[in-house]
Amino acid sequence: MSKIISSTIFAYEFRARLRSVITWALSVALLILVYTALYPSFAAEAELMRQLMANFPPELLAAFGMTGVDLTTVMGYFSFVFLFVQMALAVQAAHYGFDLVSVEERERTADFLLSKPITRTQVLTAKLMAALAGLGLTQAVIWAASFGFVNLFRGDRPYDPGLMALILAGLVVFQLFFLTVGMAISLLVRRVRSVTFYALALVLGMYFLGAFSDITGDVKLENLTPFKHFDANDAVHHGGYDLSLVLISVAVVVIATLGSYRLYLRRDIPTTA
Amino acid sequence: MNIIIHELRTYFKSLLIWSIIIIFLIVVGISKFSAFANNPEMLAILDAYPPALLEALNLRAFNLTTVTGFFGIMHIYFALLVGVAAVLWGADIIAKEERDKTADFILTLPITRQRLLTAKVVAAVIHCAALVLIIWAASLIAVAPYHPDAAFYRFLALQMQSLFLLMLIFLAIGIVLACTMRRYKRVTAVAVALLLSSFFMATLADIDERLDVLKYVSPFKYFDAGVLYREGQIGGIYWALTLLIIAVSMTTAYLAYSRRDIYA
Repeated sequence: MSKIISSTIFAYEFRARLRSVITWALSVALLILVYTALYPSFAAEAELMRQLMANFPPELLAAFGMTGVDLTTVMGYFSFVFLFVQMALAVQAAHYGFDLVSVEERERTADFLLSKPITRTQVLTAKLMAALAGLGLTQAVIWAASFGFVNLFRGDRPYDPGLMALILAGLVVFQLFFLTVGMAISLLVRRVRSVTFYALALVLGMYFLGAFSDITGDVKLENLTPFKHFDANDAVHHGGYDLSLVLISVAVVVIATLGSYRLYLRRDIPTTA
Repeated sequence: MNIIIHELRTYFKSLLIWSIIIIFLIVVGISKFSAFANNPEMLAILDAYPPALLEALNLRAFNLTTVTGFFGIMHIYFALLVGVAAVLWGADIIAKEERDKTADFILTLPITRQRLLTAKVVAAVIHCAALVLIIWAASLIAVAPYHPDAAFYRFLALQMQSLFLLMLIFLAIGIVLACTMRRYKRVTAVAVALLLSSFFMATLADIDERLDVLKYVSPFKYFDAGVLYREGQIGGIYWALTLLIIAVSMTTAYLAYSRRDIYA
């Protein structure tokens, strides 16, 4: 009986990515540290704004995605910082996704890898699992940093740990979206020259799709982007993510994963000259 | 000359994709803007908006009901996009030869390394200029229905000029990284990391006054839309910093590339 996951490939892939994972995790943790460290002075100044904002019409607050969200509260401020965290983690996941299979063709190691006595399904599964392990490790660090730094700097202002855990839990599907979509696109094109370029184009495209849909809310394009499915601002306002939107992300992940397996199994691999 | 044409062709698709992303941003943005255009109620509300909060949200004290105000708010998004495009082009145009195993071929051509580098730099600068011109043209077309005043066109010209300078800064940074870093595989990652950290520094400078000094560190703050709007020009110190960064980067790049140990 053949194993579903090749532990050799898994170990190799995991180790190859470990330095990158650690760098990403620590940089994003640093980002959280720097932003949360500014919270105390920001919150003090912002008390005044809260009083002013109470007089604003709800349409305007909605226009800036600030309905019911108040940057002076711990959770309001956290949701603001969380957007930056999402951007960074989206780039990381997309980068791993685009790189996952295309690296073998770029480095001319694909024919070597595929000459091993394992199926392509096993190769892809092992690679995918290694990438997931890397992302999981990153997220564990983000959880620790979020709770640690928020508790360190929130002073005596209250926050909702359950809600924060929920917001952070959304990162699992959020990163999976970029990982699997990146992987699927990399298999659709003939050749990925620059992984960074593809990853950034995907993430920035998705980000802008979300960022500019807030203002009037009539364009439904925003339902395509995970930045909308996992909108922390919204989650703070409604006490959680919108499940129907989350399911769109889940569906995309499933389709992209199945599609990738299908494409990879039939892919025409260029041989080394 | 052949190299310039070859490089222009190589990055044509990339230029096209960036143009599409930015035109998409302008189109979606303008469609949102239509809700605000010449709406006096919105104007009254926005006047009352606390400036510190606008700063924190990256929405500077612009009048959103005018095209000028709208473009002021869009500036940071344009800046981020063109910055990424430029830093990637700069890093990639040098590093790709080693990545694609074409470095030994291109270096056997009967030209010096300096001339090779110059050709690549020229091609990349042409691309940057093309991208800015495309944004400019798309903006002009997009705002035409709103009949903006002359002040808008002046602001737009200034904005495009600063986008171009920002691109040149990040292009130079990308190139110098690719010329000096030994491991070509890490070049684009490091370049983008540098760009994103300067972007975050710009937002940090907005949030907390004590971090004001960051405005000299982050190129994104050299061309702050709010300042450009208020002063109508790019400050002398920022011109100096821009030229300094470009000069230092390019000198280092030429020195490093002419003695680079090529991975083949």
